[in-house]
Amino acid sequence: MDFGLTETQELIRRSAREFLKDESNSETIRSVASGNHDALEKLWKRMLELGWPALIIPEEFGGAGFSFSDLAVLLEELGATLAPVPIVESAITSWIIERYGSESMKSEILPQISSGDILLTPSIVERSGSWDTSSTTVAATKSGTNLVITGEKRFVAFAQQATHALATIRLDDGQPALITIPIWKATGVHQTPMDHVAGVPVSSITFNEVVVPEANIIATGNTAIKAVEELISAGGVARAAQLAGLGRAVLDTTVSYAANREQFGQPIGSFQAVQHHLAEMAIASKQVNHLAHSAAYSFSRDGYSYERAAQAKIAASEKISALCWTAHQCHGAIGFTWEHDLHLYTRRALAWKTDYGDANFHKSNLADAMGL
Amino acid sequence: MKKPSRVYQLVIDTRLVRSTPAWNPQILRFEFTAEESNFKRDLGTFLDNALPDDWQGPADESRDDHWDLNQKIKQGLADRGWLVMSWPKKYGGSDSSPMMNTIFAEEMAYRRAPGHDRFGTRMFGPTLMRFGSEDQRVKYLGSIARGEIQWCQGYSEPNSGSDLASLQTRAIDSGDNFIVTGTKIWTSLAHRADMMFMLVRTDPDSPPHKGISLIMVDMKSPGVEIQPIINMAGVHSFNQVIFNEVSVPKENLVGDLNDGWRVGMTVLNFERSGIDYAAWARAALEELIDYVSGSDPIIGAISSDPIVRSNLAKLKTEIEAARLMCFDVAWRQGQGEIPSSEASMSKVAATDIYTKVLDYGVELLGMYGVLEPGSTQSELEGRFLKMRLFYTSGPILAGTNEIQKNIIAQRGLGLPRK
Repeated sequence: MDFGLTETQELIRRSAREFLKDESNSETIRSVASGNHDALEKLWKRMLELGWPALIIPEEFGGAGFSFSDLAVLLEELGATLAPVPIVESAITSWIIERYGSESMKSEILPQISSGDILLTPSIVERSGSWDTSSTTVAATKSGTNLVITGEKRFVAFAQQATHALATIRLDDGQPALITIPIWKATGVHQTPMDHVAGVPVSSITFNEVVVPEANIIATGNTAIKAVEELISAGGVARAAQLAGLGRAVLDTTVSYAANREQFGQPIGSFQAVQHHLAEMAIASKQVNHLAHSAAYSFSRDGYSYERAAQAKIAASEKISALCWTAHQCHGAIGFTWEHDLHLYTRRALAWKTDYGDANFHKSNLADAMGL
Repeated sequence: MKKPSRVYQLVIDTRLVRSTPAWNPQILRFEFTAEESNFKRDLGTFLDNALPDDWQGPADESRDDHWDLNQKIKQGLADRGWLVMSWPKKYGGSDSSPMMNTIFAEEMAYRRAPGHDRFGTRMFGPTLMRFGSEDQRVKYLGSIARGEIQWCQGYSEPNSGSDLASLQTRAIDSGDNFIVTGTKIWTSLAHRADMMFMLVRTDPDSPPHKGISLIMVDMKSPGVEIQPIINMAGVHSFNQVIFNEVSVPKENLVGDLNDGWRVGMTVLNFERSGIDYAAWARAALEELIDYVSGSDPIIGAISSDPIVRSNLAKLKTEIEAARLMCFDVAWRQGQGEIPSSEASMSKVAATDIYTKVLDYGVELLGMYGVLEPGSTQSELEGRFLKMRLFYTSGPILAGTNEIQKNIIAQRGLGLPRK
């Protein structure tokens, strides 16, 4: 086992830190959270220039051809700075297109994702609020070589920036399918923004007899089910990597606060009661980091380990939000204010813990994988 | 024409210009190398043959109830060069990497195998190599490597637990000998040991950390009295050892006089890893999963209970989290680091999850969970109750988890010491 970073990964980490320090600061995050999407789109454009959204897209499709492990290193830094950009949405949808799309679809879509002309966003969840896709109700009726799609998706992140939804639908014959649906200024598509704790745009999307070529279907039946499982797993691991970075950032901030804030004539960080809180936060943050990278490592172009993916998301979901609450406790009253940035992290941790399956969702699926 | 790598752009944009990174061939990260996997398999085969069929027995060498098996396996490991494989070649080892040593410990613990002689091979041997005289190394290291001599550790005293530096056992200079008087406690295996390495106070006038020395004592010496202590699980695993004017040759001093705190703490760095607990936890969880997935129709129903499934999945996650921390420690050691804070983290995480798994096992067995081992109609031979009681010690021994958290906060996070 090797817990070190490769030379490339070291470079990714350093470059990302350098860039994000200035570009994804408190001001940007608060601005995006208050509805200023220009700030978001400007930041995203810079990242496209840097090639980050194309990091794991193969070189033949205009990407950098790096591994999922490399992506996880970048995501850790993006998580640590709460970068309000659709990097996960873009990366995992490109991963699924690459793994499940036809050759023509890959050569059409992937280069455009690399260049930023196409942004896909996962559109899986419906009214039930569940990532369990067996209850998909968005329906597609065949009409010649087209499909006519009607229904509603909810909790779609960055739908206002995305060009396409990567959506689960149900076909005439009851089979599930995974399909790309154009949503950017498309006829019959209506978006309603949801006011989400994440502080990034999240919408519900209604499809009212939206006509889409049948060729947009990526997979049907069991293959679609498998592809969606993989999409959720990849998303879960990506969120786990971001949460690992977020946890580390909150730990660092809290350690620094405890070392400087004085009461009873000494830093509160010299009190065991506070030290033990921080030690537990350090353990949690390291554990999530290891599990996230172990899971990311399992993603190769031949497959992945669901067990590792589930473990990463379960631990990240449970431990990092808990870590944030402990950080509030250590900060006392100042951390309870709107002005202090700590709640920005806590809010994002709450949002990310529900994305791509929460802890209960993955515990149930992991139990299946364990043979229970 | 090939497009320039995107990462190349990334490098330029952030003005961290270096040579363009070549495509890194996928290096092995979260898996074992072929050499490591082969070793794990060979050790597993040896243990399969050495352990009785259906072995579920005590995992801890300090338990007294399978001493003969402990000795047999220790001998077998010594014969195969595995007992001290972590040692340098010149002392009979094979200089194996910290990663291999952790795999060894994990496999032994996962199979609940006794016989790895923690005190001699993992704690005192390395201390002797670093601080012992040439004569001492020649005299003692070989016998540890061959599995001949059993050591025990004399650190804790009735009034010196976490505050170890306050220890009071005196060693008074008497020409060629020290005269040792005092009491050691919680001494695992004292009743089986040939020798003890112990901390004694040699200069009562210096500050606590400065007046301590480490000496080796023959347990057969006149004046050594061993009093068994039965633990809350009903097992004789440790003892109180009383030293009444015991004469110890001065040549048995390890390292310099009054430098024993530094010498003795080396031992604790070797002691403080969570891998045994993480592996025991994995074995216990798998036993529980087998149990609830078994053919018994009533028990079988438990495995489809959503709460049970959720709890077992969570425990599996937590065990893997603790396990990876232990391998991180090994990896850092292999890089030449002394990962003190990380080792403490692994110890806290692993002992914590092990007791949680055992707690849950007792809970899952319901009314049967509280039947003593050997009771009629017990399930899983009452093992989970016994293990739960026994491993109450996990978060306490080798530095309580509270002390470990102090280490993490102070050494790892750089917070001030009060």
